[in-house]
Amino acid sequence: MTGVRAPGWEAPVTVTELVNAGTLAGARMYGAGENPVRGVRIVDELSVLGTVAPHTAVVLIGTAASGGWAVEMAMRRAWEQAAACVIAPSAGLSESSGEVLAERLGITLIFVDEDPLLVAVRVASAASRPDAARMQLVARCATRLAEAGTSARRVLGVLNAELPGTSVAFLDRHGLLLAGRRDAAAGGRPEGEEAIGGWSAQAEVPDQEGGVLGTLVAGGSSRSPGWPSVVRTVLSLAVAPLTAWAARERLRACRDFARQASLAERLLAEAATTEADLASADGTASASATAVPEEEAGAVRMAAVALGWPVRGPLTGYQVRPASGAGDAALAQTLITAALGQVPVTVRGEGWAGWSALDPAELTVRLERCLPTMPWPCSAGVGAQVPGLEAAGESLTGAEAAAAMAGPGTVARADEMGPAELLGALPSRALRAPATVILRPLLTIDRDGTLLETLAAVLDEGGALKAAERLGVHRNTVTTRLDRIKAAGFDLDDPATRLALQLACHVMLR
Amino acid sequence: MSRLIDLDELGRFSAGARVFATGAGDSPYHLALDWARSVAGKGVELVTAGELKPETLCVAVSLAGSTTALGEHLPRGDEPERAVRALERRLGERAGAVVALNLAAENALVPLIAAAMLRLPLVDGDGSGRVFPLVEQTTYALGGMSPAPLALAGGSGELILLETEAGRVEELLRPVVLAVGGWAVVACYPMAAADLARVLVPGTVSLLIRAGTPGAPRSAAAPFGVRRLCRGLILSVEGSTGHDAEVSLPSQPSSIVLREPDGMRRLVRLEAHNEIVLALADGAVVATVPDQICMICTGDGMVVDVDEARPGLEVDIMVVKAAPVWHTERGLALGGPRAFGIAL
Repeated sequence: MTGVRAPGWEAPVTVTELVNAGTLAGARMYGAGENPVRGVRIVDELSVLGTVAPHTAVVLIGTAASGGWAVEMAMRRAWEQAAACVIAPSAGLSESSGEVLAERLGITLIFVDEDPLLVAVRVASAASRPDAARMQLVARCATRLAEAGTSARRVLGVLNAELPGTSVAFLDRHGLLLAGRRDAAAGGRPEGEEAIGGWSAQAEVPDQEGGVLGTLVAGGSSRSPGWPSVVRTVLSLAVAPLTAWAARERLRACRDFARQASLAERLLAEAATTEADLASADGTASASATAVPEEEAGAVRMAAVALGWPVRGPLTGYQVRPASGAGDAALAQTLITAALGQVPVTVRGEGWAGWSALDPAELTVRLERCLPTMPWPCSAGVGAQVPGLEAAGESLTGAEAAAAMAGPGTVARADEMGPAELLGALPSRALRAPATVILRPLLTIDRDGTLLETLAAVLDEGGALKAAERLGVHRNTVTTRLDRIKAAGFDLDDPATRLALQLACHVMLR
Repeated sequence: MSRLIDLDELGRFSAGARVFATGAGDSPYHLALDWARSVAGKGVELVTAGELKPETLCVAVSLAGSTTALGEHLPRGDEPERAVRALERRLGERAGAVVALNLAAENALVPLIAAAMLRLPLVDGDGSGRVFPLVEQTTYALGGMSPAPLALAGGSGELILLETEAGRVEELLRPVVLAVGGWAVVACYPMAAADLARVLVPGTVSLLIRAGTPGAPRSAAAPFGVRRLCRGLILSVEGSTGHDAEVSLPSQPSSIVLREPDGMRRLVRLEAHNEIVLALADGAVVATVPDQICMICTGDGMVVDVDEARPGLEVDIMVVKAAPVWHTERGLALGGPRAFGIAL
């Protein structure tokens, strides 16, 4: 038994622990409850209080508990004796004045509904065997966790219900709250680094690759030396159900392309509305009509984390585009996730798209490995890296454009694309025939190709003077040739004509 | 050196008798004052016990029961005289002086009315130095005097003579008072002037006349000292438990919880059983009977009765020190916390 327990289990139980850990479950406590309890004394008349030892839990019965005045006097005398706490039957004193006096004297007052004598027996047992009392709590938590099954929300519900005075939260790897209490999340800090007047405990939930899927964080203000260690044990009991939860979610998503695709779309929509909210409300928390309800948003994000998808931090969009229409989406998802890891795969434009936490360079390498495994000829594009999910749309658009430009079997990066790449992506072969038709009047009179060359030079350089320099001829020569081109029926003053001619020249001369 | 309480002094006397008196409703108080004025004539002679011949029969006269009932069921006017005469008949001896049982509001005026009607002197002093709820809680009893035989005159002409051992007077008296309409005038503690001089708290009548003089400080009405415990805002008035069930008092125990509005901001609890028996501040005992603990409304300066206490009222809590004889072992047994059912 001793092997599984961290140090602290033998430390005397504190008053808070008595109330939190079930010995006095259901009792109302007023005051900090930080004192250790080393023994119990049943007090039936006030005069007995003079002989109470320090750190004793004083249980009032009989005349000592008979009225408000008696309980107040007992509290005062217990305080003078440095008792750990005063336990009184709830009928004895109006709770509001008890609360005031507990606060004023700094002594903890506990109201119980049960027979105080039974309470005294239980407190005595917990005080004499603190490790047994703590083990009892751990056992109860284990039972409740087993009942909760593989639901992250229910597991967190159990932890927060069974560890009163303690806030437990489940955070994703970026520290964002997935389930549980926000105040625990706020207190999340590296273990051992104590908050002022508080403590914290953590347990990591692994993902399928052995990384960190999320972290259970617990915190509270109890000063009991044994409590954090008990909480840590209980948290570690919750790791297995949470791992099972994540695995089950992943399994479901793998089997069902549509489900994970819809989740990805909802995630993007939610990120976009959150961004819009922040922009419109200047950071104040006013929900717009279009906003995804917070509860639902949390559920979406939680499902995404369970699947191991990146939901925060720098992201890069990708698109895989089959050359000849979309194929089997489920097969594509399997092959893409095999190469890229756990990423969403949705249908976008003429291909499959998603995002990854990898940077554009690494993502390009992975996609280059992925393309040959696809049963159809595909090209792929990688978008620019963006700071978070709210800007993922921008990166996806870039990836789509890059994929459109990339040649079959190649991967293009949007962040490395310029005009040359756009021109390079033009389907020159397909355009050659229409270009020949457009330029036919010119080609008919242009025996040696000088006129086409001159036209291209004038359009490229934006004027006769520079064209003459490029061609190494006199300016008047260029002017004369331009007159012949115009005579063939081309109006170079019309911008549309100019653009069409320049494109035609580019195709013909390439 | 006897002196005369004339109408002018009567006014001051009655005002002084109200300074720390609880249970003094306006209507019964004015009734008693009007009654006293109508019979006072040229005035009532005030003597010290020592000025009387030692064997002079002195009789304590007081109102018993509820003063509220007195305001509703008016007296015929002859009650004090009938009560004293009945006692004289039983003893076969004429009374030579009248003395008060205590000097709280109406209880101060009734012996004066009796003295005026019987044309007897009023002794300067009383059997309490403050007020206690029971006829037996007096310095007379502490000094070994018996309240019985006791004569009681009711407002509808009833006349009852009680003769029993000292400890049973209260028990017999209470149902009788209820039966005659809730109040009665009693004549009791018949004793010789020499005994009276030994057991009374002297000089309290003249003290209250001085205290009732306009401009006199409140402390003038407290011969043995008075201290202000604290100021408090009443948070709640609760029924109370935990009082010894063996102690039988005319009213039910209650508890008044207050908070000091500033300063130490202590939580104050006044435990009342007929009167305020115990004052706790943050659970520590700060005052108990036999000292008299009273609440004075900060708004109008009047004494706030336990029954009148209500949340939101701001009061000064004053402790009027009881006569030294109440702080002796016997005094505490008769008028200390235990006598009110609080085992400290």
